[in-house]
Amino acid sequence: MSVPAVELVGITKRFGDVTANDGVDLAVERGEVHAVVGENGAGKSTLMSILYGLHPPDAGHVLRAGTRLRLRSPADAIAHGLGMVHQRFRLFPGLSVAENVVLGAEPMRRGVLDRAAARRSVADLAERYGLDVDPGARIGDLPVGTRQRVEILKALYRRAEVLILDEPTAVLTPGEAAGLFRMVRELAAEGVSVLLVTHKLDEVLAAGDRVTVLRGGRVTGRFPTAGTSADDLVRAMIGRSLATAPTTAKKPPATTGALPTAKKPPATTGVPPTAKKPPAIAGGAPYRLEVRDLRVRDRDGVAAVGGVSFSVRPGEIVGIAGVAGSGQRELVDVMTGLRRAHSGTVLLDGRPVGGARDRRVAYVPGDRAGRATAPDMSLADNLLMGDQRGFLLGPGRVRGRAAALVERFSIRAASVRAPIAQLSGGNAQKAVLARELSRDTPVLVVEEPTQGVDVGAQEQIHALLAAARDAGRAVLLQSSELSELRALADRVLVMFEGRLTADLPVAEATDERLGAAMTGATGVRRPAGESTE
Amino acid sequence: MSSPEPRARAVARLIAGTPAVVSLVGALLLTTLVMLAVGVDPGLAYPALLRGAFMDGNLEYTLAAYVPTLGMAVAFAIPFRAGEFNLGGDGQLALGGITAAALALSTGGAGSFVLPLIGAALAGALLAALSAPLHTRLGIPAIVSTLLLSVPAVSLASYLARFPLAEQGTGLAQTPLLPLAAHLPSLGASTYVTIGLPLVAVLTVLWLLADARTVPGYEIRALGANREFARYGGVRVSRLTALTLAAGGAFGGLVGGLIVLGAPYRFVDGALTAPGYTFTAIAAVLLAAGRPLAVPVTVALLTILQAGGQGMEREAGVPSQLTQIVQGLIIVIVAVAAVAKARPSRRPA
Repeated sequence: MSVPAVELVGITKRFGDVTANDGVDLAVERGEVHAVVGENGAGKSTLMSILYGLHPPDAGHVLRAGTRLRLRSPADAIAHGLGMVHQRFRLFPGLSVAENVVLGAEPMRRGVLDRAAARRSVADLAERYGLDVDPGARIGDLPVGTRQRVEILKALYRRAEVLILDEPTAVLTPGEAAGLFRMVRELAAEGVSVLLVTHKLDEVLAAGDRVTVLRGGRVTGRFPTAGTSADDLVRAMIGRSLATAPTTAKKPPATTGALPTAKKPPATTGVPPTAKKPPAIAGGAPYRLEVRDLRVRDRDGVAAVGGVSFSVRPGEIVGIAGVAGSGQRELVDVMTGLRRAHSGTVLLDGRPVGGARDRRVAYVPGDRAGRATAPDMSLADNLLMGDQRGFLLGPGRVRGRAAALVERFSIRAASVRAPIAQLSGGNAQKAVLARELSRDTPVLVVEEPTQGVDVGAQEQIHALLAAARDAGRAVLLQSSELSELRALADRVLVMFEGRLTADLPVAEATDERLGAAMTGATGVRRPAGESTE
Repeated sequence: MSSPEPRARAVARLIAGTPAVVSLVGALLLTTLVMLAVGVDPGLAYPALLRGAFMDGNLEYTLAAYVPTLGMAVAFAIPFRAGEFNLGGDGQLALGGITAAALALSTGGAGSFVLPLIGAALAGALLAALSAPLHTRLGIPAIVSTLLLSVPAVSLASYLARFPLAEQGTGLAQTPLLPLAAHLPSLGASTYVTIGLPLVAVLTVLWLLADARTVPGYEIRALGANREFARYGGVRVSRLTALTLAAGGAFGGLVGGLIVLGAPYRFVDGALTAPGYTFTAIAAVLLAAGRPLAVPVTVALLTILQAGGQGMEREAGVPSQLTQIVQGLIIVIVAVAAVAKARPSRRPA
């Protein structure tokens, strides 16, 4: 094998306590399409930022055609033939294609931009790589797919031989995506190496030659796409350890006495999940939460949720699994009233949810700093949100209420007056959960309840969710940890590309079945003979 | 914590570390350097500044300037707590002022000074509230729309004072003298200190109480701290944004009314905006750095600087523009400190 076009060796990068990349090795051959996959937060973007000179690595280095590089800025990276197309385009809508492409490296004549030369060279470049773009068109008039082509041209104009595409299909329609992949193959045929960063597995198998899978900042799998199935990739993405996890439901132990854990009757442990509910609200109870043919479009008009229907009974935890970005977020937004559905309804005890945040739904968001808390506000102020009513609000009452919750949910905090940002991840999450559970709502929606939370808090959080279930609430639990879903949920729904591809009782939710459903049930397999190498 | 000494030191460090103190001390240092550079003795200039603000009957003027500046500070601070910038103070002042004058003239003083003041506050509130739908529906930031809407509002007031409401036969850009019943009662023997002082003081205290101890105050703070968090918590973001802008505008309009109903008891074109209350007030609020209780204090500081500047010019021969330099430096230092504070926390997405 020849010297790789670019090679990352032992890259480690930390941000504070978070290790985004942990000893990552990655080599890309000349003319190869190399996919980097992993869930959101797996470290893909950080790795690419390091390769593009946006961040210096804490350890490790980058080799370009065998020579060690010191990348201090994107300008360094560009000088060494690296190019990057970001998820959000960086184009000037008021300028023409040619002007955008040559920006920063303009052909000059007597000190002014030589427009004719710019258009000529951009047209030549587009023809050489088979990219269909009119150099004179104004960016603002072009569809998204064409703008992306302009971004690629921009990189090629700067003589990029290694092209990084960060989530390139996130903004594209399916037709445009197919066009992009044809283009990527042509670029590879011309000798350009392409790094394709994505979490959509069908894309990887359709367009890539080799795949590197990241999870939690580490490489958890390397595959040639030929002969690899989506299931194999999913297993690497969501963690090998799960394969050894027991497939029977195992509830977490009801922990410390300080927690409001309504202890489950011992008789129910270990029996099939349908029998777990207390008899008063068992099987025949009416649905608390009903979702009917829900459709949501995202900002760019792409269907994020496409016709989802399911129901949740009181005293039931329904889990939602799926590769990140399959529409879970949008589904939860609609169910909590924070986003309007394009069509379809969400009924809570028979009445529709919608408009603004619905107070009948307690909601623990996955985005702790962006939505669940205001990091700079005090713990007391954060614990109040959602329960502010009337007009007068005595500071003593606010702090007293906060102190009571801190005590009841054993949140470790120096003071309720200190900003919530000073709390550890686990304690901040417990505070959010305390706030949401303190209101007696019929429905609880929880996203990634234990992400970035230490093991001790994890157990307490699981116990709290189980207690909410036993108290007769309808609980919807979205999580990317299959072990968590298996431990808590009675049923697991799987989302793929905005649709439900499985609705399994927890006893049947095996790795194989969940994995198949997470990749669209068909398990896209690429025949070995179809390799492009 | 056990012995009092380290605690006192910790408190001292806390005070010394606040942006207000840092920027004030920094600005004074730089100003002193400027004085030395142009050959003025700071030992002469600073006492002259204080005399100019407090002694020789100057206190009256300082207080008279404090009232509108404090009012305009609250006009900026209320939307600022919700994360919106009200830069349209001048327009709100002018529109409030001309509304008060028009109401006083048309009722012949029948509404005493109360009706004109209410009208002034409403006019300011309406003008500022226009920016809310522009922001929440069209995505035009309030910082832009308030500033842009201010210009036509000032021009409208100017037009009204020059033509329909102008004093006949003088050719001056001003309204006739307002009826006596609409004049603001003075406090004591002073001409310039009116009941506007207690009125603005009481309203400021009410704002401080509302900010700290009411549900709307809490929701406004949450909105400013994290818009998405507020939306998640069921706060009606658009409505509350409109409300804060309207409340800020009401203060601006009210101040306009207070100025017009005080000496010289008429709307004089340009007299409301020329002293630059709006931007002095903004500087004071920024200097208070997110501590509402500090606003009356920072307003006092800047007012003293401005009022004292005149005295400094008379006695020490220092151009009064120097106090504007100090004010500008304060804003620059506050801004630099804010950026420096935001820097290290920046992380990749």
